[in-house]
Amino acid sequence: MQNILLLTLLLPTLAVPFVYILGKKSSRAAAFLIALICITDIALLSTTVPSIINGASHKYVESYYWIPVLRSSFTLFVDGVSLSMAIITLVLIFTATLFSINYMQEKKGLAEYYALLALLSIGLVGVFITSNLMLFYFCWELMLVPAYFIIGGWGYREPYKAAFKFFIFTHAGAVFVLLGIGAIFMVTGDLDIFQAQAALLTANPELVKWILLSLTAGFAVKMAAVPVHMWLPDAHSEAPAPMSALLSGVIISAGAYAILRISLGTVFPAVMATEFGSQFLHGLTVVGIISAFFGGLIALVETDIKRIIAYSSIAHMGYVLFGLSLFPFQEAITGTVLHLVNHAVSKGLLFLSAGAVMKQLEIRDVREMGGLAGQMPITAVSSTAAALSIAGIPAFACFFSEFIIFVGAFQTISSDAFYVVPTVLMLIATVISLAYALRFVGHVFLGPAKHEKVTEVPFFMKAAMLILTVLVIVLGVWPTFFIQLITSVSFV
Amino acid sequence: MMGILDAFLPIIVFVLASLLTIPMVKTVRKMKRGKALLELGWFSAVFIAAIITVANLALKYYSQPSPQSFLILTLTAGSFTMFSSAFLIDAVSVYMAIIFTIVSAVVFIYILFYIDSGEKLAERYYSVALITLGCVIGTAFAGDLLTLFIFWEATAASSSFLMLYYRTPKSLHATLKYLVMVIIASAFIIYGLSIVYALTGTLNFWAVKHALMALADKHLLEIAFVFIAAGYSIEAAVVPFHMWLPDAYTAAPAASSAFLSALVDQGSYYVLLRVLIYILSPPTVLPWTFIFAVMSALTMIVGNLLALTERNVKRLVAYICITDVGYNLVAITSVTPLGIMGNLYFFLIGGITTALSFMTVGIFNKMGFETLEDFSGVGRKMPFTSLALLLAAFSFAGVPPFAGFMAKYLVFTSAIEGNLSWLAVIGVLTSVIQTAYLLRLINYMYTKKPREEAKIKEPGKLLVPIFIFTVAIIILGIYPTIVLNLVNAVIQQLPFMP
Repeated sequence: MQNILLLTLLLPTLAVPFVYILGKKSSRAAAFLIALICITDIALLSTTVPSIINGASHKYVESYYWIPVLRSSFTLFVDGVSLSMAIITLVLIFTATLFSINYMQEKKGLAEYYALLALLSIGLVGVFITSNLMLFYFCWELMLVPAYFIIGGWGYREPYKAAFKFFIFTHAGAVFVLLGIGAIFMVTGDLDIFQAQAALLTANPELVKWILLSLTAGFAVKMAAVPVHMWLPDAHSEAPAPMSALLSGVIISAGAYAILRISLGTVFPAVMATEFGSQFLHGLTVVGIISAFFGGLIALVETDIKRIIAYSSIAHMGYVLFGLSLFPFQEAITGTVLHLVNHAVSKGLLFLSAGAVMKQLEIRDVREMGGLAGQMPITAVSSTAAALSIAGIPAFACFFSEFIIFVGAFQTISSDAFYVVPTVLMLIATVISLAYALRFVGHVFLGPAKHEKVTEVPFFMKAAMLILTVLVIVLGVWPTFFIQLITSVSFV
Repeated sequence: MMGILDAFLPIIVFVLASLLTIPMVKTVRKMKRGKALLELGWFSAVFIAAIITVANLALKYYSQPSPQSFLILTLTAGSFTMFSSAFLIDAVSVYMAIIFTIVSAVVFIYILFYIDSGEKLAERYYSVALITLGCVIGTAFAGDLLTLFIFWEATAASSSFLMLYYRTPKSLHATLKYLVMVIIASAFIIYGLSIVYALTGTLNFWAVKHALMALADKHLLEIAFVFIAAGYSIEAAVVPFHMWLPDAYTAAPAASSAFLSALVDQGSYYVLLRVLIYILSPPTVLPWTFIFAVMSALTMIVGNLLALTERNVKRLVAYICITDVGYNLVAITSVTPLGIMGNLYFFLIGGITTALSFMTVGIFNKMGFETLEDFSGVGRKMPFTSLALLLAAFSFAGVPPFAGFMAKYLVFTSAIEGNLSWLAVIGVLTSVIQTAYLLRLINYMYTKKPREEAKIKEPGKLLVPIFIFTVAIIILGIYPTIVLNLVNAVIQQLPFMP
């Protein structure tokens, strides 16, 4: 097969109108169609695994004619990192779609909802599997528009306000990314991230510095690093639960992925040896620590069930930033990417369970909840698994990745003493995450039952949560598959 | 080989069509049956003829051996003289003729259905619209500053008729304002041209450029430049000379606003581009880039802020036209091949998108929706028109995969290339403001509850041109190579400018 990646993108694209038409007749059929496409896509992507792990360049590339005038071709590529991200994205879309079948059942306009979800999946997958900056930006913004309409159209309270905030913040970030991309094109005359990397090495370092800052600032907005995190709590908590899972699992991870792939992978090598290079990395560390503490501390006192999880996402992006700032240490980067994967699964699961609780109880204040463990056993089990993973308890997904990040941190300390204090602080931050995770589980599921006649959620919601629960545990016990994939990539 | 006739045929077609349209429509009006069909046939014939002549010109132009890929025509007998009305057909002119003809063909469908031929002065409206087109194409073909001026003023004068067609007090007032501005502008330009003529003894583009490059004392030229640049800036509605545009485009019938924004506006940017970069003053002659960069920044900021506070939707679109001037100026001031590429691409995309928005807003206005509040919930009541406006809004905001994105990308990248990174930063920040008010419009259209739930029947005929432009925005957004290859061919030929 020659066109695996093209097919991966084309399938959801072509499916959009069919999803819409099917959705008019039966929304369940539309959901199944999306789920089917996700599975097909995962299967298609899996066929590239042998060539990535065994091939000489550890990549799989396809290139098509697109805009020769701007030296852009429609280049699709996967290597270990992008493949891991793409697969986990598809898994999350798959479960979110299954979850939607029951969760969204009573809502109106489901044909539009599923069509938008299909549209969203193009952007979500595309971002990870392209090496052309122009195409990357297309997909980057394609994540935004459908998400805006989904949050606005099917969210809670004042959904369009949250969606508006989301759109404006991340679009403002995106235009800085665009400036960076434009500057890269000016300097190197190329828009392929690998070609550009080589060309940037000989460019004027002063200019490269600005490109790096502009790009990273733009990506950081999507990643919701403090102080540009303001859109996240609103967007995540007002969105319908499947969308929250995608937002928190994939969209903010895309920001982290972009920092790794483009800021650090493409632009950073040009300034790595300079003083600015280490200042930049230290800057990332500081932002990471602030995000981790800020997110963690607010999650500890927040009472709205979804906002707790939303702030914990900010905290976890703090860990990711900390991991990124250890660039280019192999262990740290492996841990960071693995953490993106694990965090996507765990946080997706946590948001789905929160959605399940909210749907059955129709309240969102954790203080009014309690004792749901007996009434909603499956939801309780899956949320507990997710919460423990978020807290970094062994045998659950996030433990491994945090562990590897810290291994990387200790290695880095031997060459750069700056990292001593940050590493200690990050260790303290993990304690905070344990605290809010336990508080969450305790408030919602333990203690005396405060509500009577609460029943377990319907089948598809259960199924979606169980799939992710199994994944959280599998990844926690046996992360080898992803570690193998990720370590096949070398950034420098 | 290219002849004089090939170059003039498009203009001749439009002028002849304009003259014949009045008796034609008057006769048809007296007929009992087949009125609509006959009219449609007549105007299709006109535009098919125009497209054929332009295609003929383009084909002949591009089949020439490459180094002499421009045509200079002087209207005096015999060889080249300094004082002669001249025409210059180069790659840029041909490109402008192509996009003017194609875009106007689509806008004309809207005009035909919007301005009913049964109305008393409809035949004059059609006729003036056609002659405006002829004049705009003439502007693109002009080869000396005076010819350019004459064609351009003719365009401006005929546009004023399109604005005041319905003769409401408001439109009379706005047109008066426009005319006063145009007259001031032309006085400025004439004054400037006279100085240029005194300095160089010629007005031909190529001769002026060469003479100015060799000029030792530039004091007089500075004065001339200020007057000419100010004059053309007034007509392009560059801030601080923008006041006429929102009034004029709001008071004009929607068909006129669409027509003017798609053609005359783009024509005015073309004139700025031509006069500033190629003839009067390449930055090697006068260091004007900084002043224009500041004006461009001002235009983007003021245009977007005014739009942010505006509640009348048609006026809001008019303010977007002003911001488009700003984005075009960014590319013009960068003085780079990429900038010209961005400009030329923007001429097409900006024209299509503004025309599309004016067309949709025209339909909404017909239904009695004027302000943002009126637009509440129209998304459910008029799904197709709203969808078109939604896509146009995303295109304006520069969100891929819509066409406006690539235009903005080229413009901002060219600013970085031209060492105007600060301008690029202002550009993207104002672009975010633009996104904000466009999203607010979308919010009103799709989320607020409408006052009355009843569905409204959308006028099917008016949706035809809207549909064409919507499809164009999406296709050009996903696959801009169609136009960019053409534009690139144009850029390749620029070094051969005389």
